[in-house]
Amino acid sequence: MTEEKEKKPGWFDGVKSVLYGMAGHDMARYALKTRGSMEHLFILITMGDLLGIPILPPYYSLRLLPYVVPQISTWKRRMLREKDLTDALA
Amino acid sequence: MSMREVFDKNPDRRYIMFGGKGGLGKTTFSAATAYWLAKQGYKVLVFSVDPQASLSDIFKRDIFGKGPVEIMPNLFAQEIDADQRITEYQEEIRQKIRDMYGMTEIPEEIENYIQAAAAEPAMEESAIFDEVVDIVGSGNYDYYIYDLVPLGHALYYLSMASVYDQWIDKITALRTEMEEYSQVASVMQRNKESEEDQILKELQFIKHRINTSSGILTDKLKTAFFFVVTPEEMIILDTKKAAGLFAKFDVPLAGYIVNRVIPPELAGQNIPAYLRNRMEMQTTYLKEIDQVFSGEVLARIPEFERDITGLPMIERMAEVMFGGK
Repeated sequence: MTEEKEKKPGWFDGVKSVLYGMAGHDMARYALKTRGSMEHLFILITMGDLLGIPILPPYYSLRLLPYVVPQISTWKRRMLREKDLTDALA
Repeated sequence: MSMREVFDKNPDRRYIMFGGKGGLGKTTFSAATAYWLAKQGYKVLVFSVDPQASLSDIFKRDIFGKGPVEIMPNLFAQEIDADQRITEYQEEIRQKIRDMYGMTEIPEEIENYIQAAAAEPAMEESAIFDEVVDIVGSGNYDYYIYDLVPLGHALYYLSMASVYDQWIDKITALRTEMEEYSQVASVMQRNKESEEDQILKELQFIKHRINTSSGILTDKLKTAFFFVVTPEEMIILDTKKAAGLFAKFDVPLAGYIVNRVIPPELAGQNIPAYLRNRMEMQTTYLKEIDQVFSGEVLARIPEFERDITGLPMIERMAEVMFGGK
């Protein structure tokens, strides 16, 4: 690892930050939001068993389990919430 | 062509498989072929992918779940203990979770999932499938002889490879797309580098393993698949069907071996009508076999007067299959 010296932000960095705030921030937020949704979709197709939907051979899905441990509870909440909504409409 | 010629003419072959219905002699032929090749000076591993394996019985040694066991110089045998592998694998996953998040206990929800996954019927096959990749990937042997499971399972095993492959392709594509969105975000936020996606790496690893395994099963240069048949109507019909299915999966069929042929010299002796009738029946079906699988029948193996177990009997079988020493 190369150590980088913390530079004092110059006026140019200030301009860049303003530009980012004006143009980039929304796009970045959108990209992250899309990614978040896809993350949930991904967990659904790999860990479907957790909701009782067996989708894929479990051997390799176990390999992926450690990486999604933090997302599991929010994912489950989201999946189950949407299910409750349709139940209410019916 | 004889069995011996088939091996002499294809020195690049490394993976030998015997397939056929249950109880026709796949394990016997696997063991005898392994024995013969070992005697020729090759280092051979014969291994079983059958959860109810019988290599232990044929070699009269308990080798179940003990890794490769040396039976005689150059000849190693292995029976995969799927349950043991699954248990170890589960623990590996738990340990990884503990390490990654500094947990002392696995959250209940996650633990339940780990246990439920292991109870799935496909788990055992997948575990064996995965272990085969380890065995074959080690490259320590000149020949690998697969003592396959009965036909239905073998087909399942083969189709699993292509299903897995497609599945992994799909989720890898999804994951790659996710990675792109991450990168867009980090470019916007001017982060130097986005974090490497561990899951994508893991998926590529899995894909590589599956490709290795299914690649071997369909490698025309390195793999030979022999069908075992007996002169009986049902067996011929089923084998014909299975051969068609195997061909669909691009498995290189190397030929057919006819087992349990009543020695024709018996006809000259004073034998009971029962046996004579059976011999006539076999003659009809042997003709049919020669017609149906014309040019591809490599050997007719006689019915032995006793079980083939233990090295001396395996040696006799090898002599019948390959002729001489």
